[in-house]
Amino acid sequence: MKLMATRRRSVVASIAAAALAWGSGLAYAQADKPLRIGFSMARTGMLANATPSQLNTYELWREQVNARGGMDVGGTKRKVEFVIYDDQSKPEQAVRIYEKLITDDKVDLLLAPWGTPFHIAIAPVLEKYKFPVVGNTAASVALRQVKPGYIWFTTSAIPDRIGTELTAMLKQQNVKSVAVLSNVLPFTKEIKNFVEPELKKAGIDIKVSTEYPPDIKDMTAALTQVKQANVDAVLALAYPGDSVLYAKQAKELGLNNPFQFVAIGPSDAFFPKAVGAASADGVVTIAHWSPRPEWKGSQAFYDSYVKKFGEDPDYLNSALAWMSLEILETAVAKNGLDKEKIRATIASDTFETINGKVKFEGVQNVVTPTAFVQYQKGKLQIVWPASIATGKFEPKKGW
Amino acid sequence: MARPGALWVGLALAGVAAVALLPLLGNEYLVGTGLTVLMWLALTPSWCVLSRLTGYVSLGHVVFYGLGAYLVVTTWQQWPLWLAIPAAGLLAAAFAGLVGGPALRVRGPYFVILTFGLAELVKFSIMAAESAMGMAARILFGAPDLLAVYWMMAALALASLLLLAWVSGSRFGHGLRSLRENEEAAETLGVPVTRYKLIAFVLSAAIPGMVGAVMALRSTYFVVGQVFDPMVSVTVIAMALLGGGDGVRGPILGVLFLALLSELLWAQAPLLYMILLGAILVVFVLLLPDGLIGLLQRWRRKGTAS
Amino acid sequence: MIDTLLSGQLLFSALVTGSLYALVALGLNLVYGTMRMLNVAHGDLVMLGAYGAFWAFSLAGVSPLLAAPLVAAAGAAVGIGLYRGLFRGMLAKVTPSTAGKLEGNSLLLFFGLSILMQNIVALAFTPNNRAYAYLGEVYRIGNVSMTANRLLVLCVAGGVCVAVALFLSRHVAGLAMRAVIERREAASIVGVDVDRVQRLSFAVGFGTAALAGVLMSMLEQFSPFSGFPFTIAGFIVIILGGLGNVTGGLLAALLLGVIETYGVALTSANLRSVLLYGSFVVALLVFPNGLLARRLVTR
Repeated sequence: MKLMATRRRSVVASIAAAALAWGSGLAYAQADKPLRIGFSMARTGMLANATPSQLNTYELWREQVNARGGMDVGGTKRKVEFVIYDDQSKPEQAVRIYEKLITDDKVDLLLAPWGTPFHIAIAPVLEKYKFPVVGNTAASVALRQVKPGYIWFTTSAIPDRIGTELTAMLKQQNVKSVAVLSNVLPFTKEIKNFVEPELKKAGIDIKVSTEYPPDIKDMTAALTQVKQANVDAVLALAYPGDSVLYAKQAKELGLNNPFQFVAIGPSDAFFPKAVGAASADGVVTIAHWSPRPEWKGSQAFYDSYVKKFGEDPDYLNSALAWMSLEILETAVAKNGLDKEKIRATIASDTFETINGKVKFEGVQNVVTPTAFVQYQKGKLQIVWPASIATGKFEPKKGW
Repeated sequence: MARPGALWVGLALAGVAAVALLPLLGNEYLVGTGLTVLMWLALTPSWCVLSRLTGYVSLGHVVFYGLGAYLVVTTWQQWPLWLAIPAAGLLAAAFAGLVGGPALRVRGPYFVILTFGLAELVKFSIMAAESAMGMAARILFGAPDLLAVYWMMAALALASLLLLAWVSGSRFGHGLRSLRENEEAAETLGVPVTRYKLIAFVLSAAIPGMVGAVMALRSTYFVVGQVFDPMVSVTVIAMALLGGGDGVRGPILGVLFLALLSELLWAQAPLLYMILLGAILVVFVLLLPDGLIGLLQRWRRKGTAS
Repeated sequence: MIDTLLSGQLLFSALVTGSLYALVALGLNLVYGTMRMLNVAHGDLVMLGAYGAFWAFSLAGVSPLLAAPLVAAAGAAVGIGLYRGLFRGMLAKVTPSTAGKLEGNSLLLFFGLSILMQNIVALAFTPNNRAYAYLGEVYRIGNVSMTANRLLVLCVAGGVCVAVALFLSRHVAGLAMRAVIERREAASIVGVDVDRVQRLSFAVGFGTAALAGVLMSMLEQFSPFSGFPFTIAGFIVIILGGLGNVTGGLLAALLLGVIETYGVALTSANLRSVLLYGSFVVALLVFPNGLLARRLVTR
């Protein structure tokens, strides 16, 4: 009799022990199972030299999140693992990759690729599979036509706003005449389309207005024309490649106009390395971030980026990438992996990021102001608008 | 020219079945892969109609692809697709007819680089025109879904293969081959060399035009520089050369080999796949100078010899 | 407008652009001329040369002027190695009937090498843009402003092109090379060591490409994938000038430089590429064998 009881007790005990082990094992396994986050990034092809600033930021974030024990998924921390594919600088390839990430690799979350064409290309895929993604490095008025639902655009550098704000800044600096040089690629062409009418409305004389193809190798003829026009401001609506060409040839020809605006390129740490620190000083460019005490985490982000990569982050692209990650983190911490709940949170909440508050209306971020930064003594300072400025505009003193 | 044996007919039927049944698997990623393969299957045989048969290697075939895409993009939501896509093919063919006359007087490597220059010229002309019209980029909202695009491409691939097969076996095709061997001699023998070259050029342009039109529906964001991508021209040549041979089988093998290999590589070896691709290309050329067809012929010869 | 056109500034720019194109095209012309192979990886050699100069400058503070001969020599060594290892075998097996296949296969082969070079560099050095500032001071002579590094590129590229042209017309080895370019079989019959000439043309071809890369690295930023535009430019130039015709190549390069500057000055920057490619296409349609046509005997 006693033996039976003992055995029953030991059976019960072992079952209990097994159940406990299995239960905790489950919880252990769940927390231990890595969180798989997928995205595509151009690692080969013509755009591969533009993506590192975004990829680096993603990597930095993953490192920091994992050091904290993992990403907060509705209360449980899970380590983050990336699933990355190369889109070869082709938007169609990005479409295929996101289809694969969602249907084949079945990742838990998605991050945005680099660049406007890629964001727009994957929007239908995200819509079809109801998979929310916080976009970052995309800026075009066409974005507003994307059906709001599963992708949002964090940047405030939308061409029509750039047109109005840039004109306002020029007016404030008493600029009476400008020269506009524009790359025909989409983003800069859009800016040109919006800034010129604004300039005319403001009574600023556009003395030179020229466009050029992206493979231009020499701007001497165009810049000679600009020099002869003797304008107060030069708006070089250039992409990173030609931004360096512009700076170097402006130096050679002695384009000493006090207001030098170069659309894309100078926000990347690469620019002063390529043209020299003295030439970079005074250049105004598009960005809406800078480490500011009012923006929680901005200095920490700057410091950790510099520590890990040995150079400044891209004040536009890296900041945007980080902001999109912060927004995703907040939404996932609140809702776990429920995609509809995540979507609802991103669409309606106001978020705190390293760039201050962010809130979306439709697909667009309506809080972050459209801003410009200027190189001053080797550092980018926000010089417009006054509400978030970290420095005052200083006229450029030659190259 | 050997008639396709039973094995080949069987393989062809299997291929058709695979194309037809793929969408039923319900895996969007696989359908996308199928679409990619079908696209190259539509482009490469058309290119072969000109470049394989006449020896006039075109390095600018993407110009037809781009023209077709541009037509669809500019008539978006104004022309119905059943009109726009064939019109794209017509536009490409008309362009070929227009430039073919003077262009085909240029021979050998001069022709190769001429076609490249022509493609770039059209690309930059459209870029300048678009920017003069104030256009930044064009977006197609409301494009048909993947499956519709897939079936359209399947039809184009079939058409392209049939075109090459028909031309290859016809008297016209023999005339083309004769001018490839020796143009002057062919002319003295009565082959209407100038006319034949032009016809081949025009024929080779039509389907790539429609392929470009259909693919515009897939990526929906049209930036001139990215659509007129020289790598498309280069890839078509690579696939044809890898396949080898003179007829339809070479391009099929070349496309399947390179397209499926690339698919496998980018999905499985994200960091190294381009390096692997380059290495495989180099090794391939060194070991198999006659392409996959040459390899098959060698096997068959070995088989019959023993 | 007129004073712009007559100014030395445009001339200076045209010469700088033209001389770099000329140097890039030179090696391409020699390799094609002696071996009938289209080296589509040529621009990637330029890219490698640029990286060589960049690392020499960034890591060891070595000025590009010092690095140039070293990098060029390294390029030449790579060329010789590639010739010995890969191409000599391929060329030896060529007969007149398979010559066409050699062109096609060499296209694929160089294309594969191009992919390898670009992506190995991208893996090793990251795809990031690279650039450095060297000799960026601007000098003025009359009303022409010249950045020191651009003037340097003009002198070095121009000098090397002239030197090679002289070599081809005066030196015995150069004449042998021209003989092989014009008529290969005949050259070997009169006792030219064709193998040695081919090796030399690979060496000079790759060496000048690497040198062009060093020069380019002073002027612009580059990444592992920036070689392709140089390959294109090289091909446009050698076709325009006539294949295998080194003088033709130099003239064509200068012509392109002139179109890039004066053409734009006369019309608009918007038409820059349309003018370049348009001129190329029209020129070739009118002169199907290049501007200085001298039809090479195909094998």
